[in-house]
Amino acid sequence: MTRNSHLSDHRLIEVCFDAVPTAAENLHFNTCDRCSARRSRLQRLLREVSDAASVEVDQLFPPQRLATHRARILHRIDQNSRPGRVIAFPTAHASDGRPLRTRPATRWIAGAAAAGLAVGMLAGHLVRDLPGGRTQRRPAIRTAAKPTHPPAFRAGLLSDEEFLGQIENALDGPDLAVLRPLDDLTPR
Amino acid sequence: MVAAEIKALVLAGQRDAARDLFAELVVGQQRRAIRLAYQYLRDPHDADEAVQDAFVKVFTHITTYREDMPFEVWFTRILVNGCLDLRKARFRRLRWVLPIEASEATAAADVAGGGRSVEDTLVTQARLREIAAAVDQLPERQRSVFVLCHFGDQTTTQVSQILGLSEATVRVHLFRAVHRLRRLLER
Repeated sequence: MTRNSHLSDHRLIEVCFDAVPTAAENLHFNTCDRCSARRSRLQRLLREVSDAASVEVDQLFPPQRLATHRARILHRIDQNSRPGRVIAFPTAHASDGRPLRTRPATRWIAGAAAAGLAVGMLAGHLVRDLPGGRTQRRPAIRTAAKPTHPPAFRAGLLSDEEFLGQIENALDGPDLAVLRPLDDLTPR
Repeated sequence: MVAAEIKALVLAGQRDAARDLFAELVVGQQRRAIRLAYQYLRDPHDADEAVQDAFVKVFTHITTYREDMPFEVWFTRILVNGCLDLRKARFRRLRWVLPIEASEATAAADVAGGGRSVEDTLVTQARLREIAAAVDQLPERQRSVFVLCHFGDQTTTQVSQILGLSEATVRVHLFRAVHRLRRLLER
């Protein structure tokens, strides 16, 4: 209660909901018209709100619908209590004589990819192993460029036949300048 | 009390007996549950679904029920959480959809023709809409507390257990909700 002994709004709401009024408050309600009217007004408002909700729900959920609703709840509970049904593997398709159909597009794509890989690897090997291949040609150029030293330096190390063979090779080649020292040694 | 019996039956492996007893419990709680769910969701189909889910969940998890808590509190907590989840899901689903007042129209059509005059029906309908709109205008917490206290027939102590709030907070929200409703409806 407040200082002028009337019930506060807060307490009045509590009393209208679930709080039990004290003996002093009951006495006050009996003697104070103002608080009694406040309580009546609040109770009326709450009843109206409650009735409005009840009317709405009653209209939306008639007994028939509630019964159906209950049946559905129990049905779901019964469904939940049953063990899970195991579905057999569909073997019937294989035994009915028709060929099993897989997706052709997938098969074609996989086949084409495998064939492409095999052809690519084969081509790679062929290109590398052929005599005219790029990888073979380079060392050949390197060995042809090597004999730039004058044959005079190597003449003492070679047999006569080898020496003459080198001379013949040099005569067949384009660069005759390398033969100049031999020509100088030759008596005229 | 009935819930404790159902739990004992399930634990004893007497599932059929538990199911029959649960059917009685559904009869006792169904109307209150529907009323609560409808206040939260404002759609009869959603309310229907939420209440069904709550009852099925209760039976499925009955073995986890603690007897030191009133069954109504446990059940209401499950129901309210389900309603809030459903409302969130609906909000996400209908974010870009224009609302159609179908349920209101259906309700109006249903209420009309109850043996009263057209004027009475219209006045009642207008007042019903006004009250529903006023409750809908309450902020989330206030609305929740008011709905549980007033439509769910729960005490403030029980509501504090259901919502996980202190009892003082529940009382403050209830006080503010009633004040606001008064302002909106007593004009």
